[in-house]
Amino acid sequence: MLKIATVFGGILLVALGALPFVAASQRAPNANGSASGQFSPSRVQPFETKAGLGRTLFFDARLSGDGATSCASCHLPDKAWTDGVPLSAGYTSTLYFRNTPTLLNASKMPVLDWDGRFSGNDMASLVRDHLTEAHFMNIDGRLLIERLRQVPSYEEGFKAMYGSEVSFGKVLDALAQFVGTLESRANQYLRFRAGETAALSAQATAGLELFEGKAGCSSCHSGELLSDGMLHATGVPANPAIFSEPARHITFRRFFKQFGVGEYVSLRQDPGLMALTHEAADRGKFRTPSLLETARTAPYMHNGVFGSLDEVVRFYDGGGGDSPQKDSRLRPLNLIADEIAALVAFLESLAGSDPPFEKPEIPAYALGELGAN
Amino acid sequence: MSGSRWLTLLIGMVAVALVGVGVGLGLIVATVTPEPPPRRAAARIAPTPALSGAIAARLGLAPGELRTLGFDVLPAVIMPPDNPLSDVKVELGRLLFFEPRMSANSAISCATCHQPRLGWGDGVDLSFGYPNAPHWRNTQTIINSVYHPKLFWGGESLSLETQAKSAWTGALAQNLDPDIAEERLRQIPEYVRLFKEAFGADAPSFGDALRAVAAFEATIVSRNVPFDRYLDGDAGALSESALRGMQLFVGKANCATCHSGPLFTDESFHNLGVQDSPKFQTEPLRQVALRYQHRARGVAEEVYRAASGDLGLFYTTKQDADRGKFRTPTLREVSETGPYMHNGVFQTLDEVMRFYDRGGGDDPNKSPLLRPLGLSEDELADLVAFLEALTGDPIIVEAPDLPPYEALP
Repeated sequence: MLKIATVFGGILLVALGALPFVAASQRAPNANGSASGQFSPSRVQPFETKAGLGRTLFFDARLSGDGATSCASCHLPDKAWTDGVPLSAGYTSTLYFRNTPTLLNASKMPVLDWDGRFSGNDMASLVRDHLTEAHFMNIDGRLLIERLRQVPSYEEGFKAMYGSEVSFGKVLDALAQFVGTLESRANQYLRFRAGETAALSAQATAGLELFEGKAGCSSCHSGELLSDGMLHATGVPANPAIFSEPARHITFRRFFKQFGVGEYVSLRQDPGLMALTHEAADRGKFRTPSLLETARTAPYMHNGVFGSLDEVVRFYDGGGGDSPQKDSRLRPLNLIADEIAALVAFLESLAGSDPPFEKPEIPAYALGELGAN
Repeated sequence: MSGSRWLTLLIGMVAVALVGVGVGLGLIVATVTPEPPPRRAAARIAPTPALSGAIAARLGLAPGELRTLGFDVLPAVIMPPDNPLSDVKVELGRLLFFEPRMSANSAISCATCHQPRLGWGDGVDLSFGYPNAPHWRNTQTIINSVYHPKLFWGGESLSLETQAKSAWTGALAQNLDPDIAEERLRQIPEYVRLFKEAFGADAPSFGDALRAVAAFEATIVSRNVPFDRYLDGDAGALSESALRGMQLFVGKANCATCHSGPLFTDESFHNLGVQDSPKFQTEPLRQVALRYQHRARGVAEEVYRAASGDLGLFYTTKQDADRGKFRTPTLREVSETGPYMHNGVFQTLDEVMRFYDRGGGDDPNKSPLLRPLGLSEDELADLVAFLEALTGDPIIVEAPDLPPYEALP
């Protein structure tokens, strides 16, 4: 635990180093500029780290096809890098069918995305998917490069940080570097683990005992991140909004069609891992999320069907949902109300708080010299 | 032009016309009968004094002479063997043409840039493109597009179907993922019904959507054109000025060298030395579009680095001789389809006439066909009058009510 605290301290310093630098009075126009070229030529201060460059890119909507969606559209800093809604919005008019996970500690997770098709040690691949996917940011990588080349601050930033001009791979790397800086800070639980026994309330301490004992939570929510890095079927009920909202059902079908799931038209449940493996036993399996910060990342589950931790705990108390593939460890727990409250109190102790996040200024487009590209 | 070259051209045109008719007879698999022309717009065509055929022919050329030169009314529409026309397919295509859900952000339809009331173009120099991704060339008209063997300014598409694919999926156009398109269409019961009726398909497919919109576009053809009426024997269909312009068109002004045949195009590519769009100098996102096109079309790195303007046919052939060459557009309906040239740098036909009168622009690769013409003011006006006589009745198709998404059972 001391190691984690050290890492977090280091991250804090890095994050502070990358804090924004430009006074509000110098703010650039919104990235959603029109074709008329009415951009002020203002520049942001030079980037000092790759992560700092990625930090600005993270908030730049010009990384999406129509210039309306940035990474931060769904990963909001003041919502613990989630969007606080059951199902992600996705690209303009293209609603997504899963819940937005937090980015806090994402780079340390062995499996990412609800179906586990990415890994924290290859964040660049996840970023590539999210930039180019039609239902997320829908950007043509070649167009992305040319847009960024039209922004002097980026041209200079990439040359300074990477030694050469903007490329798609460098954009992925810079964003991955920034995401790598998003980690939990000290929270009650971590302080408790570090030996500060008073850090947890009596109720939360009782919750911890249940978590590791009677309630069996820690059989999957294990390790430093409180996740086993595996995928399990828990029988979470379907979210009817996926099928009652046409734009979501469209995205849902197209996703599973592209994964070669033959029954994509008739599916009325998210098949989870099965879409990747095409194994019946993997139907409805989703990754075990980290519980660090969980109190700040409602709603819950891959489809956001539960609005509160209380609902989640009651779901597990009931032995989970209905699914032929359901993990055999899920059994009714027969918790009493005080025990449920204690578990919730413990889960709440896993959340820290971040200092206010100042969004970076987005550097403006400028005219280039024709013929000297 | 020397006499022998003129003769060669004549023979060539007749040959092309004969081949065209032969191909037409051999390949007709479906034809479209245009609806009865709507009420003629009184304001557009000035009253013409009634000329006798003999006088008209003395001012211009007689219909028979025009046919000998290769000009003619438009032939019957020929559709590809895998896309015969049907009423239900055209109706489906009409809906899809106006369908904004056929763009990634559900906000841009074909009709956004191809507006019926703007000559099925958009009336601006460079196309709107996609939000934050403006296009870099001028929108071309849909009218008579079915007749062209190649489409786009660089001839990049070989059919209406493939043109529609480029427009629906292009990052600087509608930016649509075909699988998203199919699932959106499947979410609209009325489309499922129409695709079934039109194609016998269990579900809408992107390929059938391309066929349907092509079928609709194939019905957008010129109607009741004064020039065609003249060819058919209505000597009073053209004004005296237009008749004089006709003489200039095939003679002194040399227009017919390239603007030949029933469509007034040689379907070839020429460098006229048209200046680059000034927007490449003034708008950052047009510079983005310019470089994006170079990157996307796969030119050599040194060409990308040096990019300062549109290289036209070069992107396709990668031959230096094709730098700055663009497709000869049809002149039918031309008075309704300004601004002109591949980048819309000319607002009016008068500007275009003066450009050619100067011998075109300045480019090392400029076509040797372009020479200063020495036209008088009256002659310039007569040419414009002739061009205006190539425009028929307005072809107005109203935006339909589009069927809604519905939750699927």
